[in-house]
Amino acid sequence: MEFVQNFPFMSIILSLFAGPVSTVLNGKWAKRLNLFVITAVGCMSAAVLAFELRTKQEYVYMMGHFPAPWGNEIRVGILEAAMALFFCIIMLLCVISGVLEREREIEEGKQNLYYVMVNLLLCSLLALIYTNDLFTAYVFVEINTISACGLIMIRQTGRTIEAATRYMIMSLLGSGLLLLGICFLYGLTGHLLMSNIKEQVAVLQASGEYHIPLLVAICLMSVGIAIKSALYPFHTWLPDAYGYSTLSSAAILSSLVSKGYIFLLIKIFYRVIGFDIIRDSKVINVLFVFGIAGMIMGSLSAIKENDIRRMIAYSSVAQIGYIYMGFGLGTTFGIIASIYHIVSHAATKSLLFVAASGLTDASGKNKLFAELTGSGYRNKLAGVAFTVGSLSMVGFPMFSGFISKLLFAQAAMENQHKMLITLIALAISTILNAVYFMKTVIRIYTPEKREVIQEKGFDDIAFWEQPVKSAALVCFIVLNVFLGLSSEPVIHLIQIGLSMFA
Amino acid sequence: MEKHIVNYWILLPILLSGMTGIGLLLSSLRGHIRNKEENVAEKSMADKSLFRLHLLVGIVLVISVVLALLAAWSGERSLTLFYLMDEIPVYFHVDAVGRLFLTITSIVWVTVAFYAFVYMKHEGDEKRFFGFFLLLYSVLVSLDFAGNLITFYFFYELMTLTSMPLVLHSGTKEAIMAALKYLFYSMLGAYCALFGIYFLYQNCDSLTFTAGGTLNAGLTASNSGILLLAVFVMLIGFGAKAGMFPLHAWLSTAHPVAPAPASAALSSIIVKSGVLALIRSVFYIVGPEFIRGTWVQNVWIFLALLTVFMGSMLAYREKVFKKRLAYSTVSQVSYILFGLSLLEPTAMAGSLLHVVFHALIKCSLFMTAGIFIFRTGKTRVDAYDGIGRQMPVTLWCYTFASLALIGIPPTSGFVSKWYLAQGALQSDTGVFRILGPVVLLVSALLTAGYLLPITIKGFLPGKECRVETQKETMDKMVISLLVLAVLAVLLGVLPNPLIQYVGEIAESVM
Amino acid sequence: MNFANLLCNYEEAVAMILFGIGFSNLLMQKNLIKKIIGMNIMDTSIYLFLAVKGYISGRKAPIVVDGIQSVEAYINPIPSGLVLTGIVVSVSVTALMLSLTIRLYNRYHTLDLDEISTQLKKEGR
Repeated sequence: MEFVQNFPFMSIILSLFAGPVSTVLNGKWAKRLNLFVITAVGCMSAAVLAFELRTKQEYVYMMGHFPAPWGNEIRVGILEAAMALFFCIIMLLCVISGVLEREREIEEGKQNLYYVMVNLLLCSLLALIYTNDLFTAYVFVEINTISACGLIMIRQTGRTIEAATRYMIMSLLGSGLLLLGICFLYGLTGHLLMSNIKEQVAVLQASGEYHIPLLVAICLMSVGIAIKSALYPFHTWLPDAYGYSTLSSAAILSSLVSKGYIFLLIKIFYRVIGFDIIRDSKVINVLFVFGIAGMIMGSLSAIKENDIRRMIAYSSVAQIGYIYMGFGLGTTFGIIASIYHIVSHAATKSLLFVAASGLTDASGKNKLFAELTGSGYRNKLAGVAFTVGSLSMVGFPMFSGFISKLLFAQAAMENQHKMLITLIALAISTILNAVYFMKTVIRIYTPEKREVIQEKGFDDIAFWEQPVKSAALVCFIVLNVFLGLSSEPVIHLIQIGLSMFA
Repeated sequence: MEKHIVNYWILLPILLSGMTGIGLLLSSLRGHIRNKEENVAEKSMADKSLFRLHLLVGIVLVISVVLALLAAWSGERSLTLFYLMDEIPVYFHVDAVGRLFLTITSIVWVTVAFYAFVYMKHEGDEKRFFGFFLLLYSVLVSLDFAGNLITFYFFYELMTLTSMPLVLHSGTKEAIMAALKYLFYSMLGAYCALFGIYFLYQNCDSLTFTAGGTLNAGLTASNSGILLLAVFVMLIGFGAKAGMFPLHAWLSTAHPVAPAPASAALSSIIVKSGVLALIRSVFYIVGPEFIRGTWVQNVWIFLALLTVFMGSMLAYREKVFKKRLAYSTVSQVSYILFGLSLLEPTAMAGSLLHVVFHALIKCSLFMTAGIFIFRTGKTRVDAYDGIGRQMPVTLWCYTFASLALIGIPPTSGFVSKWYLAQGALQSDTGVFRILGPVVLLVSALLTAGYLLPITIKGFLPGKECRVETQKETMDKMVISLLVLAVLAVLLGVLPNPLIQYVGEIAESVM
Repeated sequence: MNFANLLCNYEEAVAMILFGIGFSNLLMQKNLIKKIIGMNIMDTSIYLFLAVKGYISGRKAPIVVDGIQSVEAYINPIPSGLVLTGIVVSVSVTALMLSLTIRLYNRYHTLDLDEISTQLKKEGR
């Protein structure tokens, strides 16, 4: 066994231990440790990815001394390694871009606690990506929920605490269903490891026994995860949680936390149940309907919103709808499109949050639209970044959003029954996206009167005033344009990764 | 290998003007604050830096135009840049149609830029305007050179995006609403087109532009019904840019609020890119054979004729000068679409001729409108009575351009309309064979009815009517107007090389 | 049809009914404390389900006391392990929820979540 193969395990353990260690450090050192951990994990994931690309062979890593049916396992393939790497990049950018906000908004003594949460979140995301054991997945889902809740409420205002409470309630509903589904499946198959469950499920399916319990288990797990990842109509907690938490939290939550759950759902589809059985069950139709509803309702709510952060948050609801719609198409290509959208949305949404904070900084920290007039001139980089993010969300060519829409439409062409409704929903949602994003872009580039600016004391923010945030923004823009222009290698990666999955 | 490198020449004009445009835009972000008390002259830049800006824009534009023309006229070239997705490359290919469109775009762009040097003092924010102007040129060059439908679509969307800031240049509330309207119509259209592209992607051998179409006969046999629908949706979608009914309403809103050079560019070039999109998709992907004689063709002809008539009627009733011209564009571009929809070589030649002529003519008409507004500050046509005494050259140019648009014999419009009518009579399209020329004739009369009164009242104002205006000077605006008007008339006198050129294109695709 | 089956597996049936009660409480109750109680009922019902699944009447715990017997004599130990893990998770989640509730109560002097929302709206941002 090569040394590289230890890396997934080591990265989980590293981030897991960095959490408790951060509690005894002060804020500054906790931050350094956290940045080191994310970078190290990122490097390790890159090494694993390189290794996987070389061998083109998945491998299973035994945790402890017990072999397959009883012991716990980590499973590594191309898709897992790529996702881990991508999540690390996004998380690093999110964490560094929000330093100023954190220092301003979080009490001095609690700075280190923030990094505890971030480390634990990273650990749980990695575990969700790599694990081959359903019950371990459940445990880390809960860790993920708790640390995300911590990220929301670290800024202690009424809004965030209320948002955290609502988030917890929804999450608990979701994880209750997920756990029940896992227990059902365990009762049916007698296994917890994904590959073993899959074998047993195939046997059950062939014999025609326990058809209904199996269906119920699939339903419970899908619905549970859908609730946890804020699929419409379970999104009520989301605008408050994203709108009022501190910047890095909002960026991380929107781009990573829900994506971790969705990745788990893909694993359940492919590695636990088998995609054919999922397709034959009617569950995906439910996901499809709610996905479409989310695409439209999320955008409608975003149009009505007049707080920029909440608007972006509602747009997340719509984008998560896209991902579930891709699942609902029931084709492998639909899943590929969804995974690409996970990537593209993560890159775009965090960009939008960071850019929006840059704009509000130049408008006296005010998030209302009326105050943002002309802010694109006061903070140039943030203005450009916000424009790029908006165009990507609307789906203009050259940016990542265009490719994901193209992929969704291509996937829709493969499913005769859902083709028309998908294309129409995509069209409506694109137009709605254009309404609120273009409205905002035009507003930030509408010049404000000089007296108003002086009266309210708005400052210009130059590129070098917030070097870290600027650098992060530039990285985000580059990432977005890269995903938009040369998506082919990424799609190829997803394709072979997914074929290793099944 | 050497051939390979030579092909990268295509990219030079695109990169040069694009990069300069982006550079200008970035530098225009500096210190930007609106102040209503300041008057326009102060808001505009100091003369010296303005001169430097003009010099830069002029040089970059001329070099890009020369490079683009060189790339276009030095033989067939193609270049695969990179792969956007599996089997979908960003691919450039120079062919006869692209060459034609590129040439006309370049002529218009240079003259409009020259015109805008003076006009934009009136509007301010020149850096931003010229930034987008150059960027738009690079996008248009790419659009003309695009070698497959996906690349084309890619730049088509970018064109919408980069032309929108020209519409909302003044930043007033009406401008913003107009720009949004333009954006939504364009996006709706583009989305409809994309819808069609998805279907074509399934049913074509490739999406590379090939004269005569690339539909796979084996695949289309089974589902021709739904494919026809998809093609129709695509026609409507691309028709939005070309101002075809039912998605034509953006033109009359966007043109009046845009600065005159922007409306000139919009009306003469951007609208034509909708035509280019239709040519590319119908004659180079779907193939005329597939839709000949189907309901799609009939509905298309009907919509085009309806738009011709409706546009003229609306223009006739309209009092705001630029709005009137915008409606006139709606009507005239549908002449082109009518010629295309007949799927007949002579008519198509007429269409392509009309593309060239209408671009020149409409550009000079909008320039006239700009000069009138610049000098008098009035936008309605009844304010221009007696203007011919102060501005004889402008009004004469306007008159000749109008005559050309109406189609009075020695001018250019006559040639294209002659071919259009000929094509209609030769085609076998049932009732439209006769109805088409009749509508064209009626519309030509209406065109005379809405364009010529301005000339007549301008020179012969009646009794005490006297318009308050600055005196005309032979500045850059008038010179560029003169150049275009003369070109428009001259091409009508010596049309033979052009006719031969477009005839070959038309023969090759049928 | 399979009513007899339902009676035979009455433990599982009870577990599901409890799950329903807990789930609807967590979802519907306005009072935060009642919500937390609902959540605990829901989790406990799952442990009941697991424990029932893991026990076969007449068999022993898988601990070797007097010589190794046949496989038939023992039960599967894993469900019990899962129950323990689950309890740990649910305790920590309950603690977190309770601490959140305390904070909200200190701030708004009510346990009603809707009431808190209306107060928040009044506060503005």
